[in-house]
Amino acid sequence: MISNKTYLKLLFSIFIIIGISVMSYSVNFAKNYPLPIIDHISFDAKMKFIRDHIDINEIDTIVVGSSLALNNVNGVILEENSKTCKHVLNISVWSISALQVEKILELTTIFPNLERIIYSGQFTSFNFANVFKKFDTDFLKKYMQNKLSPLEYAAFIANACKDLSFCKKREEEWKKEYMDNTKFSYLDFDHTGSAPLHIYGKDIIKSRWNRGDGPVQNPNALKALARIADNTQKRDIRFYFIQQPYRQAMIDKSPNIQKIMKSFPIDIAKIIGKYNGTFFNLHEKLHLDDTHFADRSHLNDKGSSIGSQEIAKFIDAKEAK
Amino acid sequence: MLFNYTMGRELVHHSTKKRNYSPKKLLAFGVIANLALLGYFKYADFFIMNVNRTAGTDIPLLELALPLAISFYTFQQIAYLVDSYRKETQEYDFLNYAVFVTFFPQLIAGPIVHHKEMMPQFAKLKNKVMHYHNIALGLFIFSIGLFKKVVIADSFAVWATQGFDIEKNLNMIEAWFTSLSYTFQLYFDFSGYTDMAIGIALLFNIKLPINFNSPYKATSIQDFWRRWHITLSRFLKDYIYIPLGGNRKGEIHTYTNLFATFILGGIWHGAGWTFVLWGALHGLALVIHRAWQKLGLRMPTLLAWFITFNFINIAWVFFRATSFESAMKVLKGMFQGDLILPNLNLFSDLGITLGKWSRVYYDSYIGLWLLGGLLVVLVLPNSMRWKEKFKTNYFYLLFTVLGFLAIFMLHRKSEFIYFNF
Repeated sequence: MISNKTYLKLLFSIFIIIGISVMSYSVNFAKNYPLPIIDHISFDAKMKFIRDHIDINEIDTIVVGSSLALNNVNGVILEENSKTCKHVLNISVWSISALQVEKILELTTIFPNLERIIYSGQFTSFNFANVFKKFDTDFLKKYMQNKLSPLEYAAFIANACKDLSFCKKREEEWKKEYMDNTKFSYLDFDHTGSAPLHIYGKDIIKSRWNRGDGPVQNPNALKALARIADNTQKRDIRFYFIQQPYRQAMIDKSPNIQKIMKSFPIDIAKIIGKYNGTFFNLHEKLHLDDTHFADRSHLNDKGSSIGSQEIAKFIDAKEAK
Repeated sequence: MLFNYTMGRELVHHSTKKRNYSPKKLLAFGVIANLALLGYFKYADFFIMNVNRTAGTDIPLLELALPLAISFYTFQQIAYLVDSYRKETQEYDFLNYAVFVTFFPQLIAGPIVHHKEMMPQFAKLKNKVMHYHNIALGLFIFSIGLFKKVVIADSFAVWATQGFDIEKNLNMIEAWFTSLSYTFQLYFDFSGYTDMAIGIALLFNIKLPINFNSPYKATSIQDFWRRWHITLSRFLKDYIYIPLGGNRKGEIHTYTNLFATFILGGIWHGAGWTFVLWGALHGLALVIHRAWQKLGLRMPTLLAWFITFNFINIAWVFFRATSFESAMKVLKGMFQGDLILPNLNLFSDLGITLGKWSRVYYDSYIGLWLLGGLLVVLVLPNSMRWKEKFKTNYFYLLFTVLGFLAIFMLHRKSEFIYFNF
């Protein structure tokens, strides 16, 4: 038995020690790993990347979309081959819909010298209309610019690290899953935020390679695209939509895919054309063979490099006029 | 609050003043006013939906936000009015009355407290000074509740939600996992909340009544209701069952009163037919139990426990399901679902495929968790026993610290189930 007063003194001392240990772990975690912001590690990682590595005054070109932009557009190659796209930021996040792209583009008002937005996708990008469950634009803008007050940042870290087991799990997964460019989960961005995949031979996943996609387009996703083009025009920024390559073998064996590959370019060009947006059919331009693909729609680094050179040429030509 | 306080005072002083209305009418007015408010916020849409369904009308729903804890403080204030009518209340000041109704630790999900046990505590001067033992004990009980909620209940919640809300079909084992997960989730969630409420109240030297006493150890349905949400059972008995006549008017009336009390108890929990059915099932079980006792029949304790536990588990399906379809899906799985064993790696390596389970069940240690949950509720002392044993020594110090570590698992947040009621 110890006295009540001593018991409480000991208890609160232990609480303080635990509190300090947890705080130092959390600060260290926040420094080295993406903090959970919206329970989407690809998004969380991109926010941290921008915060840590991007000079917002430099960026003139933003590449946006799902993995079809993150992996398929190589920002470094684009910068090297273009006279107009001098400072590229690939702000893309895995598996996001056009509605989510629209939300992400709300964040781009922090880039004062932004001249163009390149939305990279395929007909599959408009099959769904997912939304972010929570998306605090003002907070994210402040976070990306490193403008959170110490108190706000501390609250953010404390909130993000409430579940230490989650942080520990993310720490382990980060090394195992996200640093390996032979996996689709690759998130070790180059200096532009792109993540080109080095997936060849045995690393190719058969089910991803051969599985066909549904052709049905979600009207809400297409409406979001129209709004994106409209808002971009209003901000006096050039808007490009790049239709990414798709494995020809998949098109050949599916009448539905053949049909959508014909109608999709027409529909998209029409939607964005209303707002002076420019459509570029990279699939049609390159007709890449299977050696350039990591699966049916994702390019490997060889494919993304060729594709990005072509995008650079196209944009330079377009803007030279 | 002001309305009920004034009504209560008026009821107490009624005989000493000349009034042209009877105290009974005044009480009826007070009770109806409280129930009307509860009915408007909680049951209006349920009523409109049923009118629309039966009369084929298209009356728009009100979609009102339910004021937090309305079911709890309505009950507490009705009890206050009834006791004032019975002249069983004392002269309380408004401040203490307001603290009684809004005392934050138990405001949202109980225990449902009685003015007789709370108001004297608020008035007691001794309770207004810091009491180190109560703080230590309060933190200990709070830590048990926190652990129950964050670590145990929220783990079971994942599997319960998967089965009830996500899976379209369940095989037999998945369905039993689902229902048992909810059975444990509800207990650890609700009793965890109660422990936290009791713990916080102790920091202010206030002792809240016991609300759970190892309910899943019950060997009859009557025993269960003496152990589960004890303060609700007390309210239902004192303010519904006994005023209806209790067991004073013969057997048939007793059965009817029991049944009616539990139908009302079901409706109190939520505006939906699944809650009515849940209440009816419990009412019916109590009637059968009473008849069984009257006949002087006996049953081995283990069998009695087994039947009681399974009945409670099955009845919870209606309590949890958001619709009859969802309830039937789980029940159909439990009793008519395919018996599919998991496709363990051991067997698939040998080329034997046993079947496919939903990944949420397959990838988890749900079987071990359920077994652990059962052991905890059947073998370990409950938090009230721990409270009695508590001493300021190193064992309890470590116990408290470990319980508080659950705070670092808050990412898997899910609100307390009883917040909805």
